[in-house]
Amino acid sequence: MAEIRTEELLMNIGPQHPSTHGVLRVVVKVDGEIIKEAEPVVGYLHRGTEKLAEDLQYTQIIPYTDRMDYLSSMVNNHAIVTAVEHAMDLEVPERAEHLRVIVVELNRLMSHLVFLGTYLLDLGAMSPFLYAFANRERVVDYFNRLCGARLTYNYMRVGGVKWDAPDGWIEDVKTFVPHMRKELDMLHDLVTGNEIFLNRVKGIGVYDTDYALSLGLSGINLRCTGFNWDLRKNKPYSIYDRFDFDVIVGQNGDCFDRYMCHMKEIVESLKIVEQALEQIPDGPVMGKVPKILRVPAGEYYHAIEGTRGELGVYIVSEGKDKPYRLKFRRPSFINLQVLPDLLRGQTMSNLIAILGAVDIVLGEVDA
Amino acid sequence: MFGFLKGLKVTFAQLAHKKVTLQYPDVMPDFGERFRGVHKFSPEKCIVCNQCARVCPTSCISLSGSRGGDKKLHIDTYDINFEICILCDLCTEVCPTEAIQMTDRFELATYSRVDLYKNIFWLDDNRRRSEGIIESEGQNATGGGK
Amino acid sequence: MDFTWLDKPLEFSTVLNMIIGAVIVLAFILGVVTYTIYFERKVIGWMQWRIGPNRVGPLGLLQSIADVLKLLIKEDIVPAKADRTVFLIAPIIAFFPSFMVLAVIPFTATHVFTAASNVGVVYYIALSALTIIGVVLGGWASNNKYSLIGGMRSAAQMISYEVPLAMSMLGVVLMAGSLNLVKIVEAQQEFPYVWYVVPQLLGFIIFIISAVAELNRTPFDLPEAESELVAGYFTEYSGFRFAFYMLAEYVYVFAMSALGTTLYFGGWSGPFLPGWLWFAIKVSCFIFFFFWVRATMPRIRTDQLLSFAWKVLIPLALLNLVGTAVVKALF
Repeated sequence: MAEIRTEELLMNIGPQHPSTHGVLRVVVKVDGEIIKEAEPVVGYLHRGTEKLAEDLQYTQIIPYTDRMDYLSSMVNNHAIVTAVEHAMDLEVPERAEHLRVIVVELNRLMSHLVFLGTYLLDLGAMSPFLYAFANRERVVDYFNRLCGARLTYNYMRVGGVKWDAPDGWIEDVKTFVPHMRKELDMLHDLVTGNEIFLNRVKGIGVYDTDYALSLGLSGINLRCTGFNWDLRKNKPYSIYDRFDFDVIVGQNGDCFDRYMCHMKEIVESLKIVEQALEQIPDGPVMGKVPKILRVPAGEYYHAIEGTRGELGVYIVSEGKDKPYRLKFRRPSFINLQVLPDLLRGQTMSNLIAILGAVDIVLGEVDA
Repeated sequence: MFGFLKGLKVTFAQLAHKKVTLQYPDVMPDFGERFRGVHKFSPEKCIVCNQCARVCPTSCISLSGSRGGDKKLHIDTYDINFEICILCDLCTEVCPTEAIQMTDRFELATYSRVDLYKNIFWLDDNRRRSEGIIESEGQNATGGGK
Repeated sequence: MDFTWLDKPLEFSTVLNMIIGAVIVLAFILGVVTYTIYFERKVIGWMQWRIGPNRVGPLGLLQSIADVLKLLIKEDIVPAKADRTVFLIAPIIAFFPSFMVLAVIPFTATHVFTAASNVGVVYYIALSALTIIGVVLGGWASNNKYSLIGGMRSAAQMISYEVPLAMSMLGVVLMAGSLNLVKIVEAQQEFPYVWYVVPQLLGFIIFIISAVAELNRTPFDLPEAESELVAGYFTEYSGFRFAFYMLAEYVYVFAMSALGTTLYFGGWSGPFLPGWLWFAIKVSCFIFFFFWVRATMPRIRTDQLLSFAWKVLIPLALLNLVGTAVVKALF
């Protein structure tokens, strides 16, 4: 009896595709429905941020960092600003630190809401996207009142923040926290118990801690396997050691755990925001910094816990006001490495579920 | 076993929720004081210190001035190239006299790229939405000949 | 209640009446479908904290008409290597069974425009299976491997869910003792004086789930999913032919809702209001339920979908059938 000769199909997903979350191209070799090999092709959004930074002063680089991971631009600002302060040994006033923590945690919340909305939209549920974005809109509105922009904030400066909170802003953000908790309950009711959703994400895309550590994953992609590593607790920076919050750790390392980690991290961010709003002192928002920032010659690395993992900034300086080389350790770029291994042997529908759960932002993958 | 029924209840309850749609462009959004929109330039305040052009990360500001009769520098030309301006607000931050401010206008879409080069006359004429209508609004607001 | 025109010999005036009746029902259905699409967008919008369409015409009522007009004036593209004849007739094959099944549904007590066929249920099931041919032919004739895969998947889904659909309807047929849809409605007004949804709750649930799967709607709309590779079997169709497929889907929504109302909710029966108004209200509730589910649920994967049909729904439907038969035999 002759064997049926099947052929493998080389197919291309993207770069324009509704569910690759940006301009990501994935070249897959498919045998029937099963993926034999997958290879992500990146670079469609490369804008040369690191190269441009060689000709810009440190304050001028900050608007460029906004646009790397455009969903959490405060976090990117925070990364470069703390890196320069760490290199130059600058003091940041208390009020500025508290404002920084508030906006960074709110931004983390916003980014996780986008994850929720887009992940469920890929899986076919239309409504959580709109609820998530309507709630995110409230925070976007607060940021608009605070620094004048909705997405690319350019809010932090070396030594502090640019603006102080306007009148009534702190009180408004205080009302947001309980509102968001109720909305989160509503979203859990809608999504987390849904058997259709659970069947699509449980047990899909599993990996263990050793594999994650060998690839250098960080953030939720590492914590979902059960490994407790959060830079805010393990290597505290800024004033995170003053706040009481838990590090969310998963168990199985599948897509459902990543989803639940995102949701629970929203709760933790709300806790931190609440505490920071209570503790915020009065005072100046900009510290004593020299007019022209010159980082002393040498090499410096500083990393913070970004929304997608460890966001690090590596500065090579010759003592001038512009860096010699600025390198960003971008978590999405490194997290994308799991894709070929995770996709081997999966069907095409699972590709969508897995790619969504890795939570990449192409601005950060390509810089 | 019946978790999806809770989801159905949630969606049904949202029918009574207030609608969050903003019916733009019939209703304009209210952005607040600090909104980083298109610039307004006041030539009488400018002292031609060149700080805005130097701090701009994309180098989209070009200006020139000359010394007048009273030995002070006065501004002659001031151009912002809105093809590359990223509305980052660094220029307003460094201006010592608040000659360059940002309004809450954001609608820059035009049919031709030439219209995105705004010169000193357009930037002087620009103002916040609440302060009145600009003369050149409604037409193809050109930069005044570039 | 009397079918005078059925008993008369076939004269020209009778044929004329039949043709006029069919045209009126077609026009009515087109109107219903247009506003079903409008209401779907409005209802789903309201559930998502948005206003639905509201700019075209007062309250956006002319939106569907604008959409249909747009589809009609588009360029008629037939792919070069496609099988031209099959490509052209596939949408028609998909559409006309959806319209033909409406002939057996009793809209009112006086059975205006209804063929009180003694095999109404079987006629319905048989014709709704013809649509699958249209789907497969559409996928095949497009000469596009993704359309073919989408068409095959869609056909597999629709065939798998035909079986529990038919079996759940058999429970009702057993209780009413007739395949005639008119007699089923009348039987719901006799003992046990409740609509069949109460004794046949399990059958009703199976019917609803199978109906959603038959209609290729969320949560069973993987063949049409945009976030998959393909837009399904109608990737290559544009303009008017695409409109035919959409029309077929929405006429089926109406037809399934009407069938569900007839079988389980007593059709046109109800106090005070005229029969057609009760029928309209019940069908609207069904259609609202379809929109409600679409706004809420994510999509089921193809393999889970098929295993759900064969391993869960069919045993339950058999259980329902056997239980009904046993109860009927005992009492």
